[in-house]
Amino acid sequence: MWLMQMLSETGEDTTKQSGNRVSSFLSRRDVQQAIRAWVFWAVTLGGLGYLFIPHLMADSASKTMDIVKSTFMAFYYTSVPVAAVVLAIATQTVLHNRHTGTAPPPDDNPAIETNQMANIVWVVISSALCVFLLVWGLVVDNVVAEPSRAANATVVNVTGQQWIWTFNYPDAHKDTSELYLPVDQPVIFKVQSKDVTHAFWIVQMGIKINANRGEITETAVTPNKIGVFDVRCAELCGLLHAHMQTRVHVVSKADYEKWLANQGSVEQWPAS
Amino acid sequence: MASELITEDRTRHSAKKSVGIIRHLNLGTAVIVGALLAVTVNRIATKLIIEGDETWRRHDQIVMATMLAWFIGFMIGIGALVGPTRWFFGKDLNHDEAMFLAGKDMGIKRYFRYTTDHKVVGIQYLILTIALFFIGGVLAMLIRTNLGHESGGLIPPQVYNSIVGFHGLIMIIATIIMITGPFGNFILPIMIGARDMAFPRLNALSFWLLISILPILAATIALGGIPMGWSGYNPLADQGPLGVDSYIFTIVIFAISSAVAGANITTTAMKMRARGMNWSRTPLFVFGTVASVALALPAFPVFMLSQVMSAMDRAFGANFFNPEFGGSAWLYENLFWIMGHPEVYVILIPAVVAIMEITPVFARKPLFSFNMAIVGIFGIVGLSIFVWAHHMYISGWAPLLNGPFMLTTELISIPTGLLFLVILGTIWRGSVWTRLPMLSVYALLFNFIIGGVTGIFLSDVPEDAALHGSMFVTAHFHYTLMGAGLTGALGALAYWFPKMTGRMLDEKLGRISFWLVQIGFTVTFFGMFAVGLEGQPRRVEAYDIIFKNGNLISTMGAYTIFIGMLILLAAVITSWRNGEIAGSNPWGAQTLEWMTPTPVPLENFEVLPVVTTNPYQYGIKQETSS
Ligand SMILES: [Cu+2]
Repeated sequence: MWLMQMLSETGEDTTKQSGNRVSSFLSRRDVQQAIRAWVFWAVTLGGLGYLFIPHLMADSASKTMDIVKSTFMAFYYTSVPVAAVVLAIATQTVLHNRHTGTAPPPDDNPAIETNQMANIVWVVISSALCVFLLVWGLVVDNVVAEPSRAANATVVNVTGQQWIWTFNYPDAHKDTSELYLPVDQPVIFKVQSKDVTHAFWIVQMGIKINANRGEITETAVTPNKIGVFDVRCAELCGLLHAHMQTRVHVVSKADYEKWLANQGSVEQWPAS
Repeated sequence: MASELITEDRTRHSAKKSVGIIRHLNLGTAVIVGALLAVTVNRIATKLIIEGDETWRRHDQIVMATMLAWFIGFMIGIGALVGPTRWFFGKDLNHDEAMFLAGKDMGIKRYFRYTTDHKVVGIQYLILTIALFFIGGVLAMLIRTNLGHESGGLIPPQVYNSIVGFHGLIMIIATIIMITGPFGNFILPIMIGARDMAFPRLNALSFWLLISILPILAATIALGGIPMGWSGYNPLADQGPLGVDSYIFTIVIFAISSAVAGANITTTAMKMRARGMNWSRTPLFVFGTVASVALALPAFPVFMLSQVMSAMDRAFGANFFNPEFGGSAWLYENLFWIMGHPEVYVILIPAVVAIMEITPVFARKPLFSFNMAIVGIFGIVGLSIFVWAHHMYISGWAPLLNGPFMLTTELISIPTGLLFLVILGTIWRGSVWTRLPMLSVYALLFNFIIGGVTGIFLSDVPEDAALHGSMFVTAHFHYTLMGAGLTGALGALAYWFPKMTGRMLDEKLGRISFWLVQIGFTVTFFGMFAVGLEGQPRRVEAYDIIFKNGNLISTMGAYTIFIGMLILLAAVITSWRNGEIAGSNPWGAQTLEWMTPTPVPLENFEVLPVVTTNPYQYGIKQETSS
């Protein structure tokens, strides 16, 4: 009740903004300083992100990971202008309104209690950004789920146990401790645990799903690059959690068929 | 009414005799009674509980019985039950006992008793918070030392995993109490013009409950540690050593303590505000503190329940969370995060409102959009109850719920944005009085924007599938809880230190510490973001050599933070003992705690104040506004 009352009280402060007022606002000295600071921060943050972040992220070996990387950059660039507003106002005030000394500053600042236009603009922009994030998230979530709907997908049963991974190829009746996958072929992982909760993570493919005892969880991906990649456990699972890792060998379809037919031990396969 | 009590007290000098048993109870008797009862019960339990097939359950039962005995003995020994017992026999504490409990004329001794004066409790909380941060910080140094060593592996995994668990648990307790404990107790009642908290005895209870935990926590070291981390995930916790029982007890008692404190602070703020202090004249710190503890009220009992169930699993094979016999790990994860995400805001909101209290004073401008601040705070509180499963996107529990939880999580950025608007609107066109508290305002803005943005990355379901469980997450939540939370608490410390101790916090040492901590912080967690993006899992004692450089950078940053924190500790100790004497209102602030003398008298105010405006009447009123 009091909240509503307070809201309506501020409503009285609403002022009409004409184009004239906007231009006179923009030409004010402090506003100009803040705009310059905003440009500085936007360019600096955007540039640093452009230069460094792509190199910091793990290499991509799937379309899913490509999406993870592009989502990261999209969200980064979206947040740069917003963060730059915060930093620009901070910078402008620190550079131009600083008061040093042990006594409080003189009490001669404008007593601005609120500004309805600022409130509205702020809420509208943050809501719009929020909608953008949500739509983006739902769209890409659907795209990364594509391999799980593929009719011709290979199925691999993944079992986590303290502190090793075991991979079972049901079609070939094969159990291995390192993962072999054919390139450009959708694969569905059916994941479970023999003991505590683990998390099955193929770093360069951007997929991760918990391995639970007594439940089968699923994730899917289409590897699109030949090479050796990393499987790590991403859920603290006891003593040797840090060492619960193995490798994924993504190989050509021909090599994969050869490997499936090969009855020898996994270790004989040359590291590709 | 309380001033009546004082005059009454002056007329009855001989009354001290009527102060009975509570005169003899203090921390010493609490430890003795607690230890005696613990040893006794331990003996009896060892005899009575027969060794069966499952010996591990027997040990869990004995350990739990012993801890329960310690806890009960300690609370009896400190005097927590004197009041209720008297009441049960139809005889409440008399006036002299009440004054004794308030710590009147008791000097330093009152800090070691069941003292009810909110100012004593505030100082007790402050010391406890500092001690917890010190221990948690040393543990962080051990973690970073291990990881700074090329590819880790310096500390054996069993010990390392426990260190990580302890660091998390202690820091979570410390950050939850760091503002509502010291400042919520000492400052808040004065800020609203009250003579004490609504329930002074509950206030003492909430503090001594926390103290009773400390030996239980320490016992963990002898009982095999808590190698499952502070989140206590089952079935891993079920598998853990007896130290897990310590963890369970710690959480249960902590939950009781925070419920007691929460009920007390909420009632105080609702019922005991000065005449004229309607809601639009109530300082934001009061709103924020109430929002925080009120949010904890539904959240922590859920956590407590999960631990009671976990204890039953361990001691009696109840199998709530044991999938082998029909239990569910997902159930535990849900219960944990139903507490776990509101808890982030339980920590953050008090930090932000403390900063909002500081900003107008040092910018000499009214708080910008008071109403928006309140909408922001309560928007966050409301939404934060519905976001918990974003911690479970990749758990496989209910993939269909990922979309809805992504929505609620991203919605929370709107009220959070309002908090930024309020702070930015206040400093815009204001002064920047560059004293210690104001430095924290800027540091919080800088860190909180990074913490917030990285949180948005993680709210995205496919992004989280890549980053979940990696060091990126660790860096993200340190940005929110430490970069924003702890920075806000340090600002609050610098701001209210003069009122609480009567002396100014050393500005020079404070500044050196500030820059070391903030630069060290940025270095530490940028290194951690980098290795997280590259694919280093969190909570690992050893790692692939490719993560070497990022970890080394993080470790160097962490040492810098630690040095900065030690300097701050030195500043606090030296300033408290012989710092510059502070006047009653060194910052020229307008909230009520600055209107009362320093040191604050036992009853806070000679005459209770009457409030006519909100406490942000700075600057010159004028027509134009922007
Ligand atoms: Cu594992």
